[in-house]
Amino acid sequence: MTAESMTITDDRPPSVAAVRSFIGKRRRRNWVDWYVAGFGLLIAAIYGADFLASPLSRLTKPASRAAATHAAATQAVAGFGLVIGIGMGLLLLAQALGPLALSPADASWLLLTPLRRRAILRRTALTLALLATVAGALLGVLGLAMAGPYLRLAKSGLPGSWLFLSAVAGAGCCLAAVAAAALAQPRRQPRSVIRAACLAVAVVAMAGAVAGERWSAITRAVTAVFGGLSTPAFDATALVALALAAITWLLLWQRLASFPASVLRADSARSGRALLAAQFLNFSLLFWIAEDNHWRGRLLRSKPWPRLPPVLALAWADWRRLGRRLGPLVILAVAAVVPALLGIAITGRLRPDLITAALIAGALAVGSQGTTAAKRDQDDPALRRLLGVDAGQALVARAVLPSLLSGCWLAVSLTVLCAAGTLSGWLWPLLGLIAGPGVAAGVLRLARTARINPADRGPDTPMGNTPPWLISRALSIMVALVGAAPLLAALLNGQSHATTVIDQCAASVIVLAVYLMSARALSR
Amino acid sequence: MAYGSVVVLEGIDLTVAEGEVVALTGVNGVGKSTLLSCLAGFRRQAAGTVSVLGGPPRDDPEFWRSVAIVADQPTWYPGLTVRELLELVRMTHQPLPGWYVPVDELVEIFGLSARADASPLSLSSGQRQRLSIAAALARPSSLLLLDEPEQSLDAGFRQELATLLRDEYAANGGTVVMATHDNEFAVTAGARIIALAEGRIIGEAEETGEAEEAEEQVTAGNGSTGPVS
Repeated sequence: MTAESMTITDDRPPSVAAVRSFIGKRRRRNWVDWYVAGFGLLIAAIYGADFLASPLSRLTKPASRAAATHAAATQAVAGFGLVIGIGMGLLLLAQALGPLALSPADASWLLLTPLRRRAILRRTALTLALLATVAGALLGVLGLAMAGPYLRLAKSGLPGSWLFLSAVAGAGCCLAAVAAAALAQPRRQPRSVIRAACLAVAVVAMAGAVAGERWSAITRAVTAVFGGLSTPAFDATALVALALAAITWLLLWQRLASFPASVLRADSARSGRALLAAQFLNFSLLFWIAEDNHWRGRLLRSKPWPRLPPVLALAWADWRRLGRRLGPLVILAVAAVVPALLGIAITGRLRPDLITAALIAGALAVGSQGTTAAKRDQDDPALRRLLGVDAGQALVARAVLPSLLSGCWLAVSLTVLCAAGTLSGWLWPLLGLIAGPGVAAGVLRLARTARINPADRGPDTPMGNTPPWLISRALSIMVALVGAAPLLAALLNGQSHATTVIDQCAASVIVLAVYLMSARALSR
Repeated sequence: MAYGSVVVLEGIDLTVAEGEVVALTGVNGVGKSTLLSCLAGFRRQAAGTVSVLGGPPRDDPEFWRSVAIVADQPTWYPGLTVRELLELVRMTHQPLPGWYVPVDELVEIFGLSARADASPLSLSSGQRQRLSIAAALARPSSLLLLDEPEQSLDAGFRQELATLLRDEYAANGGTVVMATHDNEFAVTAGARIIALAEGRIIGEAEETGEAEEAEEQVTAGNGSTGPVS
């Protein structure tokens, strides 16, 4: 070590902006990155606009009592419930990601420094506020659109001020909710309270929305509220929402200066991993993050392993995990009403494409709750080898749980669709149950996909390079689609027959058997 | 110190003097990293007091100007090179009153000259560990908290690092508290070895490295005049 290392400098403390500028100038981004990001945003905007065009068109339609048919009333109630549900879902998502979180690199290199904490968090807070404002304004306008036919309007149509005030009220509520979540972030108990409150509101709103289809008293009560809305009511709502937003953000701004580094480090690392996993559609990593977050620091009571043959004992691990963690299953069970809400809320008529997409996505998500051991075995087959169990037999035993989960969820979801009157006939729940094993083939394939290497390159497409991991995941979803093809075709046609049940039986058995046999052959 | 109902550390009475190197040793899960977390202020003790540099860990700019920590593997900025990262650390801690090692010298000492213009993402795990520790020495600090600094490092560099901590960092008034499984590393660093078992201090040995000897000797605190108590 030389004497020069004993340096004393008199430089001034740098601003966070200067530090960020130092980092930004050195990050090597090429035009392809910008092109891919821009293309992705463009596609998202096109699909988003298409999705929102239908509900927002209710704002421009002439309002009249004649428009207030039973279908319109049902749609208004269901749609309003869905808007509330989406709002709560976004808040839960924000809470799961922080909501205050830095990039993992910023958390590693800027947080534990003499830089002012508020200055470090300013950009994050402003981004959060911007996202909350946009999402809240959109939800506010959507809420107004759902009330469309029931608003007492002048002949000139919907006043511009109502539209503006709805957006302001929505943005204010969303800003206040996000700020409250951020204020609760450092403490476990308030965090849990907010999460529970969000879930409760979402469940009530969605249950009310579905119930409104059958019980006209609910629709009458809700539409009466819509009919009673007036300019002073909009003014008051917007004012209260703005006041709440201002108070909570003022509190948060003060809190930023001493926001705990330990919380930010943990949340930033978790949200960074989650966003990376979402970017690469790495569902197993997302699942692992949620599991790690749940089990860390918990004490469990060990129970004896059941006296089962080794192959079943291996599969039992997933049953036990589910038994110890019913929360996600309850959430997914509640989500069984989403396809019904989508069916009636968006346009007031059956949208088979939306219902089908929601059903298959839900079945995949629920089935994946039963594939932890299959995924773990792919990464580390030590336990299976220790017990001397054949890989193929282990996979067969492990296929039972995801088959049951997917099948039961589809059956419940289709029952709700039947109860809501969106589908006619009572063969649908049976079809859903039978489709479970077919979907489970895709779920298992998804779980057993090899680890993601972001450096892997695949074929070039107009959307940029299509990496192998993306192709592999798309294939897994296709397997699930093929496994449930008769059900999905019947949904798109809106009709089910006894022959559909037979077709679905055959499809489920064949797809699952082919997948299991091919997986067994590959594992040898 | 407890995680829920699980008590991790109990009855810890430890004072570290300025310029001292202290090594916490013990089997996995004994509470070494948790003790470091308490000193950094990441975790709050259930009872008792923790004093770092004359007061409780404060989690403010002044505290982090004085305390440097190397714990989990950090996340690297994509696009920044090894040299740029060290420059960044230096920049975020300006002004730099006190002892630190300039970037060029750090790169050389830590054997990263050949990779100075490479992204940290392309380094081996051992080289990344070297870079993490180098980053902690790229700016002045009074207290250095190291969680298993020896991991992924080759035996030769471990010795060099231990010597650097003893002859340069501690000799210039810096205090080091580290959790380690490598007694030889601790001895070379001139550390007072504190042996932990079942969340308690079961013994200490000064620069002997004899864990067995340390386990026989029960420690007692001597006030709170040092940088850490």
